[in-house]
Amino acid sequence: MATPALATRDLTYRPPRPRRALVWGLALAGCLAGIYTFQLAYSTVGLVDPGIRAGLSVWVFVPYILAGLIAWWQRPTNRFGPLMITAGFATFLVMLGWSKVDVLYTTGVALDLLPPVLFLHVFLAFPSGHLHNRFERKLVGAAYATALVPTIARMSLGGNGPNNVLEVTSQPAFSDAILRVQLVLSGAFALVGLGVLIARRRREGPPLRRSLALLIDSFALGLVMIAALAWTGAFDGPELPTVRRLTFLVIGAAPIAFLCGLLQARLARSSVGELLIELQRDTGPGALEGAVARALRDPSLILAYWLPEFGSYADLTGRVFELPVERPDRTVTVIEREGARIAAMVHDPSLCDEPALLEAVTAGAGIALENAQLHAKLRAQLDELQGSRARILDAGRAERKRLERNLHDGAQQRLIALSLELSLIENATSTNSVDAARLASARQEIAVSLDELREVAHGLHPAVVTGHGLEVALEQLVAHAHVPMRLEVDVGGRLPEALEVAAYYLVSESLTNVAKHAQASSGSIEVSRRDARIVVEIVDDGVGGADAERGSGLRGLADRVETLGGRLRIWSPAGGGTRVRAEIPCAL
Amino acid sequence: MRAVIAEDSILLREGVERVLSNAGFELVGSYGDADQLLARLPGDAPDVAIVDIRLPPTHTDEGLRAALEIRARHPAIGVLVLSQYVEVGLALKLLAASAEGAGYLLKDRISDVQEFASSVRRVAEGGSAIDPIIVSTLLSKRRSDDLLAELTPREREVLELMAEGRSNSGIAEKLVITIRSVEKYVSSIFDKLGLPTDGSESRRVLAVLLYLRS
Repeated sequence: MATPALATRDLTYRPPRPRRALVWGLALAGCLAGIYTFQLAYSTVGLVDPGIRAGLSVWVFVPYILAGLIAWWQRPTNRFGPLMITAGFATFLVMLGWSKVDVLYTTGVALDLLPPVLFLHVFLAFPSGHLHNRFERKLVGAAYATALVPTIARMSLGGNGPNNVLEVTSQPAFSDAILRVQLVLSGAFALVGLGVLIARRRREGPPLRRSLALLIDSFALGLVMIAALAWTGAFDGPELPTVRRLTFLVIGAAPIAFLCGLLQARLARSSVGELLIELQRDTGPGALEGAVARALRDPSLILAYWLPEFGSYADLTGRVFELPVERPDRTVTVIEREGARIAAMVHDPSLCDEPALLEAVTAGAGIALENAQLHAKLRAQLDELQGSRARILDAGRAERKRLERNLHDGAQQRLIALSLELSLIENATSTNSVDAARLASARQEIAVSLDELREVAHGLHPAVVTGHGLEVALEQLVAHAHVPMRLEVDVGGRLPEALEVAAYYLVSESLTNVAKHAQASSGSIEVSRRDARIVVEIVDDGVGGADAERGSGLRGLADRVETLGGRLRIWSPAGGGTRVRAEIPCAL
Repeated sequence: MRAVIAEDSILLREGVERVLSNAGFELVGSYGDADQLLARLPGDAPDVAIVDIRLPPTHTDEGLRAALEIRARHPAIGVLVLSQYVEVGLALKLLAASAEGAGYLLKDRISDVQEFASSVRRVAEGGSAIDPIIVSTLLSKRRSDDLLAELTPREREVLELMAEGRSNSGIAEKLVITIRSVEKYVSSIFDKLGLPTDGSESRRVLAVLLYLRS
């Protein structure tokens, strides 16, 4: 079997991290921007609640900058981190609108509508930092254009007072109308973004990890609030200050949720230690998957073991396991040890963001994984062996059946015809008494041969069982039994041939044992159905002490029963009779 | 007397045809499988059908099923089943409700020409013909309360012949005794085994077989 195309990953590759000085520099700049925001707020004349206003801004942009820097540090190739940093600083720049310096003021006012669009961009670009498709790119592009271009026009119409350096002429009413249109559109874009998030969730199902679900919920709520804020602003709603505060609170929660997810990953790394302790306890290979899943905080995780002899993956029971083809919600990581493939882990793609954790867990579980692989290999080989034993017995049975047919259709028929011919000669011609006696003796010989052939044919294959069913065939065994046997068959019709033949031989052999060893005075044979199993039970009231291993023919019967996936048990206490019980699976 | 036969071995089919025509039967149909036999049965209108228990296509139970169908749908037609193995379970299945007009013999019996012809005639006339092996197997069966032990050797002989489906006169002929003494033995046997006597020769076969089977 060819391994399916996998989204497999190399656990050892690490992209270069961003420059440390740059990261620290940006972090410092973010913090200074926070302090400066407070200073601006308190120095602005006429600003209501300067502390709360500045605090809410800082609540939004500092976490964005810091969370963005951490994300960038952890995943240098992912553009999500830089996008967050940009959103953070852009939010800060808007705060410059409180400045008394005209250029700073103008910058702040010009960028006033930008942050909501950046948030929309951030929310939609999670987790890769790239927008997923053309529609999303168009949506975000339109939002950027709406936020920036008309603002310049609005400012040149003098919409923002005397400190606005872009003012060309003063048409405040016209400027206000443009602003309203911008706000209405911004709200609409946010709601479309919300729709995109909802559609994505419906398509891919809810995220498997809780921290991720929380994060995406905070994105969705953020978009709702942005729309609410934009529309309240557009229609001069009296609730504007309240809505603004709520919006800032909600948007600032998103990077917190993001940081929680990162923190959880950190905590997960400490779970590697717990995993090692758990694996120390001799829990067996069955507990491994659960332990790894717990260590990686991914309950959907599945382990599949590589069986090189079979060229395929298998589960712990040795059954072939097909790795899923690449899906947005499943990723496969191949685990190797000393260059040899051991297993594959099917897991949530978000774990790919934590290569160090993945590496630590797979390294920690290494020996346990190898054990489990051996276990799976053993089970697969056992299954194969059982399959081949069943095939050999099946082939044997088919061959014996064929021989029985040949005897029946050939030699037996011919002998009967021959005997008839002799009889007709005997009757037709006026033979003398000597010839008549010789003819009669020849017919007698044929009769004996026929009896012997019948024995041989029956020994090869009990044709009555295949032809007429177990119950009919067992009547004859009971009739020939050495002690009175009660017969009860209740299985609701015919059973698979192999099962009927096995049950027949089981009863036949058991009755032989009863006759030879048991010294019983009576017994019973019961064939019944218990759900998806057929139970055959032969009981006698004899001396007991039978031993399945003592070559009494019971060993061969046990083989037959086990080949059918069943089990044979014998209770035979000395003096307490013997009970032979076979349970063989049989689909309803 | 009209007879039909269903037997897939040409060798045996021809043998039986010869035996029956020698014995004065009119052979109105001769078939290689059960379907043809059943399809032509109304037209052939035989007194007796001789059916091999193992017939094409699967050679498992086609013959027995055909026999049971004839007994259910045409109770006036006697059915004699031939087999290379006779088993108690199959006999019980064939007779089920009654032994009237039913026979079940080992194929080997064909070569005992007269005996076979008389068995066929008995079945055609509504009587029974049960293979001696079935009867002896049932007689040898172990029982917890064995009333059979109380029978005299002569009574045992009569019981066997009775179970094979023979009439009182047939038994008398076989044992070279008078019909009167056969009747006396029969009533003594029924008495000892605690079986109800209703006098009918055709019904007692099943009664005796079922008693022996229990």
